[in-house]
Amino acid sequence: MSAPETPQLSGARLGVLRSRMDGIARKMSNALLRAGRSGVLNRAKDLSCCIVTADCRLLTAADSLPIHVLSGPDLMARAMHEFHPVLAAGDAFLHNSPYHGCSHAADHTILVPVIDAAGTHHFTVLVKAHQADIGNSIPTTYMAQARDVYEEGALIFPAVRVQQDYRTNEDFVRMCRSRIRVPDQWHGDFLAMIGAARTGERELLALGGELGWSTLHVFAEQWFDYGERRMRAAVARLPAGSAQGSSTHDPMPGTPPEGVMVRAAVHVRPGEGVIEVDLTGNVDALPCGLNVSESCARTAALIGIFNTLDPDVPKNAGSFRCIDVKLRDGSAIGGARHPVSFSVSTTNLADRVVASVQLAMATLAPDSAVAEVGAVNPPHKGVVSGRDPRDGRRFVNQLFLGSTGGPGSAVSDGWLTYSHAGNGGVCFVDSIEMVELHHPLRVHRRALVADSEGAGLHCGAPSLEVELGPTQGTLNIAYVSDGIVHAAQGVCGGGEGGRAAGARRDADGVLRNLASMGQIELAPGDRVLSTGTGGGGYGDPRRRDPQAVLHDVLDRRITRERAETVYGVRILADGTLDAAATARLRE
Amino acid sequence: MRFACDTGGTFTDLVVEDADGTWQLFKAATTADDPVRGVLDALRLAADAYGLSLAALLARGDVFVHATTHAINAVITARTARTALLTTQGHPDILLLREGGRPDPFDFRIAYPPPYIPRSLTFEIDERIDADGSVYRALDEASVIATCRELAAVKIEAVAVCLLWSVLNPVHELRVGELLARHLPGVPVTLSHLLSPTPREFRRASATAIDASLKPLMGAYLGSLTERLGQAGFAGRVLVVTSQGGVMDAAEVAAAPIHVVNSGPSMAPVAGRAYVELEGGGDVVVADTGGTTFDVSVVRDGRIPLARELWIGAPIIGHLTGFPSVDVRSVGAGGGSLARVDDGGVLHVGPDSAGAKPGPACYGRGGTVATLTDAALLLGYLDPAFFLGGTMKLDVEAAQRAMHAIAAPLGVTSDEAAAAIVELATETMTQAIVDITVKQGIDPADAILIGGGGAAGLNIVFIARRLGCKRLIIPGTGATLSAAGALISDLSADRRATRHMSTSHFDRDGANAVLERLEDECRVFAEGPGQGAIATTYSYSVEARYADQAWEIEVTLPGARFTADGDVAAFRRAFDAEHERLYAFADPASAIEIVGWRVGVACRLREPKPGTLRERVRGGAPRDRTIRLPDNRVVMAKVCAFESLPVGVLQNGPAVVESAFTSVAIDEARFRRSEAGSLVIEL
Repeated sequence: MSAPETPQLSGARLGVLRSRMDGIARKMSNALLRAGRSGVLNRAKDLSCCIVTADCRLLTAADSLPIHVLSGPDLMARAMHEFHPVLAAGDAFLHNSPYHGCSHAADHTILVPVIDAAGTHHFTVLVKAHQADIGNSIPTTYMAQARDVYEEGALIFPAVRVQQDYRTNEDFVRMCRSRIRVPDQWHGDFLAMIGAARTGERELLALGGELGWSTLHVFAEQWFDYGERRMRAAVARLPAGSAQGSSTHDPMPGTPPEGVMVRAAVHVRPGEGVIEVDLTGNVDALPCGLNVSESCARTAALIGIFNTLDPDVPKNAGSFRCIDVKLRDGSAIGGARHPVSFSVSTTNLADRVVASVQLAMATLAPDSAVAEVGAVNPPHKGVVSGRDPRDGRRFVNQLFLGSTGGPGSAVSDGWLTYSHAGNGGVCFVDSIEMVELHHPLRVHRRALVADSEGAGLHCGAPSLEVELGPTQGTLNIAYVSDGIVHAAQGVCGGGEGGRAAGARRDADGVLRNLASMGQIELAPGDRVLSTGTGGGGYGDPRRRDPQAVLHDVLDRRITRERAETVYGVRILADGTLDAAATARLRE
Repeated sequence: MRFACDTGGTFTDLVVEDADGTWQLFKAATTADDPVRGVLDALRLAADAYGLSLAALLARGDVFVHATTHAINAVITARTARTALLTTQGHPDILLLREGGRPDPFDFRIAYPPPYIPRSLTFEIDERIDADGSVYRALDEASVIATCRELAAVKIEAVAVCLLWSVLNPVHELRVGELLARHLPGVPVTLSHLLSPTPREFRRASATAIDASLKPLMGAYLGSLTERLGQAGFAGRVLVVTSQGGVMDAAEVAAAPIHVVNSGPSMAPVAGRAYVELEGGGDVVVADTGGTTFDVSVVRDGRIPLARELWIGAPIIGHLTGFPSVDVRSVGAGGGSLARVDDGGVLHVGPDSAGAKPGPACYGRGGTVATLTDAALLLGYLDPAFFLGGTMKLDVEAAQRAMHAIAAPLGVTSDEAAAAIVELATETMTQAIVDITVKQGIDPADAILIGGGGAAGLNIVFIARRLGCKRLIIPGTGATLSAAGALISDLSADRRATRHMSTSHFDRDGANAVLERLEDECRVFAEGPGQGAIATTYSYSVEARYADQAWEIEVTLPGARFTADGDVAAFRRAFDAEHERLYAFADPASAIEIVGWRVGVACRLREPKPGTLRERVRGGAPRDRTIRLPDNRVVMAKVCAFESLPVGVLQNGPAVVESAFTSVAIDEARFRRSEAGSLVIEL
């Protein structure tokens, strides 16, 4: 693509153009966040915007969810080209097919090719947003029990042209309105996504007009080279070697009875500036919705690597050249084919892939290690639906009442609102008042659970417990809660994070444990008690700063007993540190 | 006489208006240990200039308007009162959990921010109000009294109370307030529904916590200011600049100090609006370039838009004030922004800054890293012998040494590196303007750009070029823009209420009752503190959204009341138009939900027209010199003294226009001095 007559850009110009490209991606995501309709989009910000080159390489994904974008935009753009060899200005495509590069069916993605007045295609902008509903057979966008795509029931759009000449194909809109729950909400989100994509298109056209397209193409190539250079420098600082990591997803219907052990082998070759992540040693495709799509498998491997490298290394097609992800055809991790279900592809098993890679890297490079992130999705992060007795309207939406799970790392305690491994803490947390305003439910309690942190020199985030129930009418909640059996693992001597738990207390006062996944119906007076996972810890807890332990005790995050037995820190009854006893305990 | 004084991080700016309406500017050093001393120092400079004693100067004054960073500095440095949070049982982690988000999903070096009030000082109150305002669980008063005893035992100095849904039914919060007054007398309390009656408990709790924690400190500071001004001879009214772009009596601020947390920057758009009015009006982008930060605000249709998301510190990891403030976008870019080259060979400028100490390398105070100011010096935009009117000599060789360290790894000359630094800083600043103008739905190409702050002139013309602005104005008071705004701002108050209402079941009587109540509250203000105003105006707006959206937009109501069916339709049209302007689409088929209601009152104390500036004229004509533009063209620039520019005569660049307070680099743009005394640059 690069025009030979355009001279190379200086490091200063690269910085300027990078800032302008990132600015366009940010502008798109801001517009979408503010104008979207569903809570999953506008309260939680479960959305991403990015720019790929005409030949489908990721240029920038500023302000995006990692699991949405590291790999996927490239594959989706390729599908667009394959299915639509002739592209025209005014086209827009809807893509959510995990069989053609999308993360999972819930992530509706609008692709708009940016085509100049001469008809030349220069870049493609993508706007991806997790939908509140996608027409599944039951009201959830995470259907773990789906044996295949038919049972899942999602409408699948493999890069379908939904706008031509900037006009929407209303046939498509009518189809969606007939099959997607709360159609006005879906349509509002669709309008907002198109609006955001067109914003990106306009901005890029203006930029190309101002600076000349050849400058932008030279920039893209140099930016990729820069990404690769930074990545090679980062890899060169790592020790050579190979290591394995594994992490086990809880058993659920459709999995082996012992659950699913995910394995990663990581080979670091600093001399070549390459890291290989081998995910071929994993199970075959599963008869359930937990399978990980190709884009999510590749992305999860990349996340695990980038989490343990210098954060300033750009995440673009250039730095990705240095990471070789190996997948196996037919495997549940990135190798399954139509018609298997990828309904829950972005979270559960994908998060275990991230963990396996991080654990392998922790063995190789303990100085930059990151522990395992807590698993998802407990009922308080499930999809709620029903009819709101206050106005008779139907509702369906994912709750984001907060998942903690942040992993301890070599440099810091876990980020409290990490959400899950593929998310990296980017999503927002619901306000209790906004959730109660929008849904007929009451959140009785939302608080950290004492003694549930992954103990360590740097602690993993503690668990969060939420208790909620309907105010009136019945409330359905669909959820897929991993981490009840298998906790988030610590690294380099750190402890494991708190486990998930779920129970319901019905109006009769009896407490019953919930299955790890399912769909429950609550009547007024019933409540669900939902506990999320904590994150794993980093390093020996007995090396944690006693003052930090003291603060944790004063803040009721850990008990004095735990301070003593796990951290070797004695806190006196008056809330002061017993330095002498602590020294003895730590001998 | 009227005085306006802006205490900033480095300088205390003073603008004095004398009886004939003429203005004079003064700058004294800020004295962080005792900021009132810096205020009095600036007043003494003014007294000398007028040939009066301090007491005689102050005796002539009837109003003293003060903008202060005292509150925000106390929050940033955690020197506020030991404050407790009282919250609804079951929800102790509102301040800890925040609203999520993370600055960078791959950067583990950034630690999760601690809550504004720790869990150890958070107390759960047994009560619960529901989302419809009904009492789900009655307040357990005995538990509140028991909590009061605990608060006393741990020596609490202030209390923030934020209960769920208090904004719909304040009965529990009010009762808790009464019990605190009785059982914990003398300890200042803030009740969330009174301070910020808006839903979203984290923002409200954060506002309440910050407000309560500032009460002891700001009460003492403003008391001391008033008292010492009085002792020095001032018998007039002391007003303080609010974050919302108005002023309030000092005593009222002490009762709700969160109002002044962004006291300084909020005045830049007030001044910007007034200066643009003098030149014919229009939408305005105000860019204020300091040493460390670049602050952008806007004026749209003559109004200064407010934002709910004012962060103290960096977004997400700072503290959210949760309170309407003039929408100001700040980025870490300014005269002191440091340049560096990373190991991949790419140049970065900022956000780290050399600050006031050591400052840019050319200040000769030990700085060795190149900054934007060093780059501007090497490019010829600054005269090393005439910086701050010649009161400070700049060290060109030190700047060159610093620049060499940037140029070498880039493989360019020092001059080229300097040009690149200006270009990159220009880009960062441009992005900040793009961010806020997108959010506010303004096309910067159609707006007038105002350059304020001492460092504005270094690259404001290049920023204007990037934005496609056609006109740029640098007021004579540009270097003290906030103080200038403070002098002409209105006394204002803002009353808000939460009441949910949809256009699908619009309750006209209910809407009018809310508006009437808020208007009555505003009238009490207008007839009290606002008495004697030359004009009093009320404004009515709502925060509304399409059904199921989560984020509201503020829309001005077409009238003060909904009297006919047509009024609801007119509101609907206004909302659709505003949504279209902000987000590029409208959805006329969707119901509109109103969440918040607001009535504001502005009491005009004087005409909002800047005075004529009395300037000190520079001795001797400056010499022309070559400058290097960011695109690396080297051109001969005419060098003009700001105060000696002939009024109304259009001249061609390249040029550098210098005053004792600033230096403006101009490329081929044309420029003139306006009747009002501003430097107007046409691009």
